[in-house]
Amino acid sequence: MSFNTGRFGYVVRRLLQAVPVILAILALNFLLLHLAPGDAAQVLAGEAGSASPEYMAQLRGQFGLDKPVALRLLLYMKNMLALHLGFSFRHNMPVLDLILGRLGPTLLLMGSTLVLSVSTGVVLGVLAATRVGRWRDTLISILALLAYATPLFWIGLMLIVVFSIKLDWLPTSGMETVAAFHEGWARVTDIARHLVLPAMTLSLFYMALYARLMRAALLEQAGMDYVATARAKGLSERRITLTHVLRNAILPVVTMAGVQTGGLLGGSIVVETVFAWPGLGLLAYQSLFARDFNLLMGIFFLSACLVVLVNLLVDLLYTVLDPRLQAA
Amino acid sequence: MMLARLFTYGLAVALSTLALTAHSASAQKRGGTLVMLVQPEPPTLASYISTSGPIGQVTTKVYEGLLEYDFNLKPIPGLAESWTVSPDGKTITFKLHKGVKFGDGKPFTSADVKFSVLEVLKKLHPRGAITFRDVVDIETPDEHTAVLKLSNPAPYLLMALSGYESPMLPKHLLEGSDIKTNKLANSPVGTGPYKFVEWQRGQFMRFDRNPDYWKKGRPYLDRIVARFVADSATRTAAIEKGEAHVGGFGAIPYSDVKALAKLPQIEATTRGYEMQSPIVQLDFNTKRPPFDSQKVRQAVSYAVNRKFVIENIWFGFGKPATGPISSNFAVAGLYTPEVKNYNVPNGVEVATKLLDEAGLKRGANGVRAEIVHDITPYGEEWQRYGEYVQQALADIGIKATLRHEDVPTWLRRVYTDYDFQLTNNWIQTLADPVIGVHRLYHTSSIRPGVVFVNGSRWSSPRTDQLMDMATVEANPAKRAALYKELQQLLVEAAPLVWVHELHFVTVHNKQFKDLIVSPLGLYTSFDRVYLDK
Repeated sequence: MSFNTGRFGYVVRRLLQAVPVILAILALNFLLLHLAPGDAAQVLAGEAGSASPEYMAQLRGQFGLDKPVALRLLLYMKNMLALHLGFSFRHNMPVLDLILGRLGPTLLLMGSTLVLSVSTGVVLGVLAATRVGRWRDTLISILALLAYATPLFWIGLMLIVVFSIKLDWLPTSGMETVAAFHEGWARVTDIARHLVLPAMTLSLFYMALYARLMRAALLEQAGMDYVATARAKGLSERRITLTHVLRNAILPVVTMAGVQTGGLLGGSIVVETVFAWPGLGLLAYQSLFARDFNLLMGIFFLSACLVVLVNLLVDLLYTVLDPRLQAA
Repeated sequence: MMLARLFTYGLAVALSTLALTAHSASAQKRGGTLVMLVQPEPPTLASYISTSGPIGQVTTKVYEGLLEYDFNLKPIPGLAESWTVSPDGKTITFKLHKGVKFGDGKPFTSADVKFSVLEVLKKLHPRGAITFRDVVDIETPDEHTAVLKLSNPAPYLLMALSGYESPMLPKHLLEGSDIKTNKLANSPVGTGPYKFVEWQRGQFMRFDRNPDYWKKGRPYLDRIVARFVADSATRTAAIEKGEAHVGGFGAIPYSDVKALAKLPQIEATTRGYEMQSPIVQLDFNTKRPPFDSQKVRQAVSYAVNRKFVIENIWFGFGKPATGPISSNFAVAGLYTPEVKNYNVPNGVEVATKLLDEAGLKRGANGVRAEIVHDITPYGEEWQRYGEYVQQALADIGIKATLRHEDVPTWLRRVYTDYDFQLTNNWIQTLADPVIGVHRLYHTSSIRPGVVFVNGSRWSSPRTDQLMDMATVEANPAKRAALYKELQQLLVEAAPLVWVHELHFVTVHNKQFKDLIVSPLGLYTSFDRVYLDK
């Protein structure tokens, strides 16, 4: 089997193609960020409420801010080629450590949101499409519209008010009960309880999106010839929907889920803020205002890699769902 | 009848005193976890390199200072059990407590004091260069004596030795390394009542009881956890639900404080900020028209209705300011109310007259001047305050456009490029005017690139001289006289508008007692806090 053929060769080729793309993204990020006025030393001194000129000069020297931008860009690209993400002077920690610390919670929230929104979205879409124009369809469509249009922060706060303050079922915020420091299974349950509200909030929007997509795609497929054939064969409506139509109709949802995964990394800032979830989005947001560029660019790098990977995965998934499509 | 009433009253007082003593003598229970809301999450825990507020709120549980302070702003023993100042004011001798250990078991000695002050604070602390500028050497005749040798008397120095302002650090962990990047910055080791355990970034920091703490029997709590919740509504919810127990320095928005304080389990207090003394201001660029004119500046000062600002923008948490020195310094004798009073009922009338005199006539459209008013990017209230000022200025014929920018951009505009006309702002005047006030008015503080100094660029030889004299004046009465003249001159010149003394609020769960026991409030060690369910 030659290198250029088959699924394996395809994956390797796609990955190699991604390298120049990511490098270009990095250089662009670097230059864009340096257009912002003010620097990290000023922010740190601003937070301190006072600083002497010697202190500021010393900070700038330490952060390498006294060197020209072109030289800094060169140094940065050199480091990145060696996969050395650099040091966050603000946090006095390597960027990699900071990012890895946030990666777990981010993936947990992303993963559960993805599963929750895709599954409920698809189910609701199917339920609506199989009773078009009836009350079930109307109800689901109205709910989807509401979930789609309501601001995330408001949904989040309302869920807190209802489920944690009024009903006292779930914690308001954070990832675990810090006063207790549970261990083992108690900790797992504790984290799961903390995950419910943020995952629900974040899922609602995407769930609505998938439900609408799914409904439209199902209705489009329902008029196709193969459905008539299946019906003529005497298959039940249930079987037609689940084994024939669904498989074809789910492609747009898969595409959308791929896009969502890329966006989830940074797009959950609002939910992370409201629920104090220790994710990467909030870290990126805070480092932008702190002009902590090493850290910010580290997060951008990770996001770029993730988007490339997810796109690849989605393309591979297409070929599984629809064997007529070829990975080549 | 009268007698009986007196008797009853006396009995009640006696009983309540009895109850109070009994309460404070025996009620401290051991155990419990206090969850603090700290906002925003600190970047590091190097309180010896940054004085950023959130850092101080957590590091003071680990690092202590030579002195602590009472509500009269008088120093009381801390790590130093006693101290003496020589008659010429140039030698300060500290006797250190014996048997004090760092969290890692190493003893705390005078060598640590010398190292902390000379090698760390004086060189790296943002305010250390000012605080310790006259300290030429520290002698350590024995392990428990540290003698500060000064080139001039430094009356403010004794006000700046708390664990927040000047933490005492472990020499053995810092010596011989690059202090700026030393890992102590993220895992502090001090002499305090709690030991740092872990920091889960974006979530919490954990501090456990130090079993070998030098104050016998303390602390009472088992653990303190600092939580970071970026959203203010969620912070309020966490306090309401009892998931968190205390939040101060604006962690709970003013708009929520009153509703929270109505709950039976919650208490709100404005005590514990007496050594911060923040003043809400309007800063003029005194080198640019129209605010290069003293009369125009005075007119703006007259036009601002301080009571309106306090009541409607800060929900009543404030007190009209009279000048550059907060009235909190009255107990130290450094404050005077005998200055030009801008807080008058007919302010708009006086302002209009002043503007006419200054030659700023109303144009055809009724506008005397058009300016840009910058908003300090530290929260919503500043925006509302800006909108109010816009209206107040419109009343006297000055048309203001508001400009909103993020923190680094705003800092650069005001303190590096001086590219502004009028900005709202607030400054903590801190433990002594030398540390907190001089920086805003002294010629030597006009330093491009340095933030929260003299961005107005106003100065005069006489006020410089008064500040220089007050810096080295050891006699309290003479020092007070110098500051009185300074306040009068500054208020007359009006390089800023001092609008009000901002009152921060600490909201806490009533189950926790003795939280606020010092003018440093949340910046203290919490060794006396206990849980009483």
